Amino acid sequence: MKLRALICVLLCAASTAWAENALKDVDLDSSPAALRRGAVTVTSRCLSCHSVKYLHYRDLLKLDFSREEVMSMGNLESALLALTPAEVSEQAYGRVPPDLSLLAKAREGGPRYIYTLLTGFYQDQTGEINNHLYPGIRMPDILGWSGADSTQRAALAIQANEAAAFLMWAADPRADERKSLGYYTIAYLALLTGLLYLVKRKVWARLK
Amino acid sequence: MAAMGVVEDQAMAESDEVDEERRDFLLTATGTVGVVGVAAACWPFISSMNPTLDVQAQAATDVDLSGMAAGATRTVAWRGKPVFVVHRTPEQIAAMAQSEGGRDPAPDQTRVRDARWLVVVGICTHLGCVPNKTESGWLCPCHGSVYDNSGRILHGPAPRNLEVPPYHFAAPDKIVIG
Amino acid sequence: MSQRLITWIDQRFPLTAFIKHALTHYPTPRNLSYWWNFGFLAGFLLLLQIISGVFLAMHYKPDVDLAFDSVQHIMREVNYGWLIRYLHSTGASAFFAVIFIHMARTLYYGSYRAPRELMWWSGQVLLILLMASAFMGYLLPWGQMSFWGAQVITSLFGATPLIGDEIVLWLRGDFVVGDATLNRFFALHYLVPFFIVGMVLIHLMALHHVKSSNPSGINLADKDNIPFHPYFTAKDLFGLGVFLIIFCGFVFFAPEFFIEAANNTPANPLRTPPHIVPEWYFLPFYAILRAIPDALGGVVAMTLSILIFAAMPFLDRSRIPGGARFRPLYRVVFYIFVVDVAVLAYVGSQPPGGVIFQIDVAATVIYFAVFLTLPFYSRWEERWLRARGLPPALQALLDSDTELRPRRETRQ
Ligand code: HEM
Ligand code: FES
Repeated sequence: MKLRALICVLLCAASTAWAENALKDVDLDSSPAALRRGAVTVTSRCLSCHSVKYLHYRDLLKLDFSREEVMSMGNLESALLALTPAEVSEQAYGRVPPDLSLLAKAREGGPRYIYTLLTGFYQDQTGEINNHLYPGIRMPDILGWSGADSTQRAALAIQANEAAAFLMWAADPRADERKSLGYYTIAYLALLTGLLYLVKRKVWARLK
Repeated sequence: MAAMGVVEDQAMAESDEVDEERRDFLLTATGTVGVVGVAAACWPFISSMNPTLDVQAQAATDVDLSGMAAGATRTVAWRGKPVFVVHRTPEQIAAMAQSEGGRDPAPDQTRVRDARWLVVVGICTHLGCVPNKTESGWLCPCHGSVYDNSGRILHGPAPRNLEVPPYHFAAPDKIVIG
Repeated sequence: MSQRLITWIDQRFPLTAFIKHALTHYPTPRNLSYWWNFGFLAGFLLLLQIISGVFLAMHYKPDVDLAFDSVQHIMREVNYGWLIRYLHSTGASAFFAVIFIHMARTLYYGSYRAPRELMWWSGQVLLILLMASAFMGYLLPWGQMSFWGAQVITSLFGATPLIGDEIVLWLRGDFVVGDATLNRFFALHYLVPFFIVGMVLIHLMALHHVKSSNPSGINLADKDNIPFHPYFTAKDLFGLGVFLIIFCGFVFFAPEFFIEAANNTPANPLRTPPHIVPEWYFLPFYAILRAIPDALGGVVAMTLSILIFAAMPFLDRSRIPGGARFRPLYRVVFYIFVVDVAVLAYVGSQPPGGVIFQIDVAATVIYFAVFLTLPFYSRWEERWLRARGLPPALQALLDSDTELRPRRETRQ
């Protein structure tokens, strides 16, 4: 037991330490309204190049969008595909922009990584746009962060936060269902285990 | 077991003796809670074999009726099942209005939204073959069930009329099944 | 009615006799501690893995173009697919955790010694089958870690003298890990657990023949044996409850704890992720592999680090029963070994080079030294203990039965 715990602690410390220190701290806003705004940001901005192919437009209904709102974004049955065909993006950027469905799980730091990336653009001395987290990135500064002043940035930071929260949801849309089922399961198991403990004690008492 | 000691024999004797005691409350309660839990734990596995969400959400099928002459029949797929769409002639409509069908009587007007158009699921209610169109309705190739032009069973082994799927007219010449 | 049914069956099949033999009249030492729960837990996990695995297989597609998508389909579209997958992925880690504790128990209490050598060896086979099964299963989701893990491990066979390249090619059925590899890994991943079931039956038949050891290490007088049922059924089920609470904590609240982030990116044979690590349960062995700078040497060392457990019954020359309980030196070495394995695991998770490499070499040397010096210090320790005078009960036992022969023989 002790060994297991030790290994786990060491491993977590090791795997998170190097990747995450460059990431900005952010309190994700995962309220339903924020997720809906995040969905709009992602579908209207990111989707011009990236896909979120494991989501279908009908999945957005789970965020309490109305049917009409979702239908105005796309066909309920189609996946959230990129507007630019993959070959065109590949020509323009040198590689196909990655699918975003699982990005929040696929990067160490998850949504914080996304947030830091979106708000990491700056203009270097030569006037080129670059990124602190991902130097040499080919993706354009989609929110216009590098040219924004501090008031504008406050609004953009919220937008980036909500987009990151939405992508976290997109990566794990069953998280709420999972956790609520988890509470019931653990409560049940605690009851059962308590009873089993009493049974065990009672049975063993016969030995005295 | 020859050399088994006294205490062990006692313990074993006790374990038989407890049989009566076994019905006591604690054991019953624990057993019940345990069985309920095991049953509940089976559900996710059983449920995982039901149609997946993407299959359940499969789109409604649109059928464009323009260009279908009277007397023509089309077979379209709805949730993977064949659906027959028939543009009935005035004679057929009149004939069907006269009859109640056979084994599973039903007036023709309860089976159509617009008497010119018959829409039925093309799966024989006997054992699931797809019946073939004939002049007077359908004949199932598997065991010879005969349906009329309202999809009603006339004779043969099939117990029920061909099923009418949920559908509506989105426009005079367009129906949406599902 | 039910009595008549049982009689009907008993005339045709030894049902009641079996229940008596295995449960209600199966004599079990009354002093077994909770460390003896882990064999039962391993059996439970085997069942859980098989059941969840069969249901996953109903939706999984072993094809390089479909595998990753089909796992996402399970996670998103299949009813409770996410639960079944997380049970299976977390279950694999739990299986290893339980087996490692089970083995540590055996080592600590010296349960590998006569007459339980065959239990130990069948357990050894179980461990290897479990590793094979877990390794092949890890390829199936076809993420970056899946792919590169399989690529690296299959490459290890390239160290075989003369025919290394041919073996690697044969294992993969392709020039890199590809469609053929994925398909055969799926076929075998489905099959191997049933070999494990067979081996567990052998393991248990041996157990029912030699009976459980116990913390005292002494073959208890018969008066201290109690029937397995209801005493140990109650204890095992209670232990299962505690285990399930912890297990479900991971499944429902931290299901990705045991899944590498990089495995959420589909396999890309043209790009290795910056830092590849095996699953945590392979880390100590992986560290031993990397401690030897020579390809063949590393593979040999890693293989030996697993197989050397089998030599324990020969290496341990002490006749003092009770494992570490009555053997202070052995106990110290046991804890050194546990810490050493933890250090190896940590080292295995780190990018190679520098200090890490030096720690790795040192820990590997200690790992093997623990085994190889055992014949010497175990004998020395026994002499020292006897010179100091043993507890009277122990002394009496040793006098009457210097070989510590199996209790069945002593009884006859
Ligand atoms: C699928 C894997 C395994 C299963 C299901 C399993 C199951 C069991 C069970 C139910 C017992 C009964 C006693 C107890 O609960 O401790 C047992 C005993 C034992 N197992 Fe395992 N086992 C597995 C793997 C292993 C491995 C990997 C080893 C060692 C390499 C091992 C070595 C032993 C030994 C030596 C005993 C007898 C110990 C004693 O009674 O003192 N087993 N096993
Ligand atoms: S299936 Fe059509 S008649 Fe039997």
